Amino acid sequence: MAQIKLQNIAHSYNANAKDKKYALKPFDMTWVDGGRYAILGPSGCGKSTMLNIMSGIVTPSEGRLLFDGVDVTEKTTSERNIAQVFQFPVIYGTMTVHDNLAFPLVCRGYDKSFIKAKVSEVAEALSLESFLTQSARKLTADQKQLISLGRGLVRDNVAAVLMDEPLTVIDPDLKFRLRRKLKEINQKYKSTLIYVTHDQNEAMTFAENIIVMDDGEIVQIGSPAELFDRPKTTFVGYFIGAPAMNFFGCEAINSNVINFNGTEIATTTDLSGVKNKDLKLGIRSEYIQFSDSIGENTILASIQSVDDWGNHKLVTADFDGNIIKIKVKRETEVPTDKVFLTLPAQHCCIYNNEILL
Amino acid sequence: MNFKHKYMFLLPGLLVLLGILIFPIGFTVRLSLSSWDSFFPGLDFIGLENYVRLFTDDARFWESFQRLSFLSITTVFLQYILGFSLALMVWKDIVFQRFFRVLFLIPMMTTPVIMTVIWKTVFHESLGPVNDFFSLFGMTPLWLSSEGLSKVTVIIVEVWQWTPFMFLLLLAGLLSLPKEPFLAASIDGAGPIRKFVYVTFPLMAPISIGAIIIRLIEASKIMDTVYVLTSGGPGTSSETSSFYIFIKGLREFQFGYSAALSLTYLIIMIISLTVIAKMLVKLMIRS
Repeated sequence: MAQIKLQNIAHSYNANAKDKKYALKPFDMTWVDGGRYAILGPSGCGKSTMLNIMSGIVTPSEGRLLFDGVDVTEKTTSERNIAQVFQFPVIYGTMTVHDNLAFPLVCRGYDKSFIKAKVSEVAEALSLESFLTQSARKLTADQKQLISLGRGLVRDNVAAVLMDEPLTVIDPDLKFRLRRKLKEINQKYKSTLIYVTHDQNEAMTFAENIIVMDDGEIVQIGSPAELFDRPKTTFVGYFIGAPAMNFFGCEAINSNVINFNGTEIATTTDLSGVKNKDLKLGIRSEYIQFSDSIGENTILASIQSVDDWGNHKLVTADFDGNIIKIKVKRETEVPTDKVFLTLPAQHCCIYNNEILL
Repeated sequence: MNFKHKYMFLLPGLLVLLGILIFPIGFTVRLSLSSWDSFFPGLDFIGLENYVRLFTDDARFWESFQRLSFLSITTVFLQYILGFSLALMVWKDIVFQRFFRVLFLIPMMTTPVIMTVIWKTVFHESLGPVNDFFSLFGMTPLWLSSEGLSKVTVIIVEVWQWTPFMFLLLLAGLLSLPKEPFLAASIDGAGPIRKFVYVTFPLMAPISIGAIIIRLIEASKIMDTVYVLTSGGPGTSSETSSFYIFIKGLREFQFGYSAALSLTYLIIMIISLTVIAKMLVKLMIRS
């Protein structure tokens, strides 16, 4: 295991062209040893490129990659002692489960007794011990993906286990079990797990820290709660959460009050230094409350529709042309016409040029 | 609704099928039960007499069949080994990759009969350049008139002519393989040999089986090479089944008997290719 440091790393697939376009814009980052990370972003945002740079499949056009302070930028994949799990399970179909798990150790010339002990240990951790003598080809997709993971875990001191959308081909109920298994593995082996996905639920339920990417750059790094409560940009607000965060145009009146369509809304954000009056108010639909009467931070909106989402209702309301989404508990009585909505000050996020103040 | 008019649309296809497949097979079956030859032309009925003759009194056919089995299995095996090696060579980024890809295909683009005539000249025992070379070492191998070497010559020409076809199929297969298993093997620390044994070869197995079966079907029809190169000789030492059927049917004009030979050959080929395909699947995929 190792601390992985990316120093001013950037990558362009046409690095020598005049109008070079970055798949990954220059950035610095340190992956803490033993951490559980998710890289989240839409397709084409550069998340797989970042992963492939760390595994050595792609050599970055700029910057350096350090494993425990050692420069590995130019080293090949096999020299880096890294494990990678791909989107589709990769198994050696002609081998048994045991031989699959033993393969990385056999290639590295370990002795038989060590291999046997290590394979048994990993097979037990992955609940594969009863399949060891079976042909790997006959297992289910999730078991095959566990074998892919297991081949990374049998090796000692793997710098990190990189996973590129590893649960894409797995059934939803198995996905949940497999994510839990990954967490257990992380706790047992203290290995750094880096998980690439475009599914926010996967990222939120798996990672301690999520790296949100957009258009080749890191937009925000934070815990699931931080990303949900205080998205650093409007992109993160839109991308994280279902439904996306509500955003409305507003302007600052004084140090912590904004004008939202003629209604004064207090916030906890210090607006004293803000010169731009053209701001955005962002608030999660989960934090908007129904009120009985007008009060502080309250607006009067008209109900447009109510959608039943199973465990809760999604109310769509209109406030002078601003469409507001409110998530309420299933048993909540929703008025049919007008409704008072309270926007709690501590949950009002103010954005200047799409960036959180 | 009435869909009876659908038969009108099916009719052209059915007529073509009837004309080019069903009628010829049916006619051959009927012909094989007759003694039609150049002396007594006509569809008389002699029962299974031709088949009795084939199974009891025609060692030449069975010898030619054994020879065909040897020639086709040997040539296809060599074509597979060479074709796979060449495909592996130009699969990866190498210098002049495109040039080599086209170069390896040239034999397939030539006309087999003409190329066989050229090969016959090359292997000519007194005038050919091959024996010019061997004469430097005091040897004059009889490439075309020795019982053993004539088969070797047929194999060389067949392998030269048809290895490009195998190369083309296998290269297409290699280019369609997913990258991930190779990356995973690199990450696992596998070297080139382990990668080939555990990744490339197993992934290529279904394509290899398809290519081998296609070539076996083609190779079992070997006729033009033998006809031009050795005419089945010396004696009958390089005669194959199709060449023997050709002799019986179109040289000796024993149409009834050659029909019986053709049908027997067809049935044996269907059975043996099915068995070979199953064996290959068991050997290359399941094991």
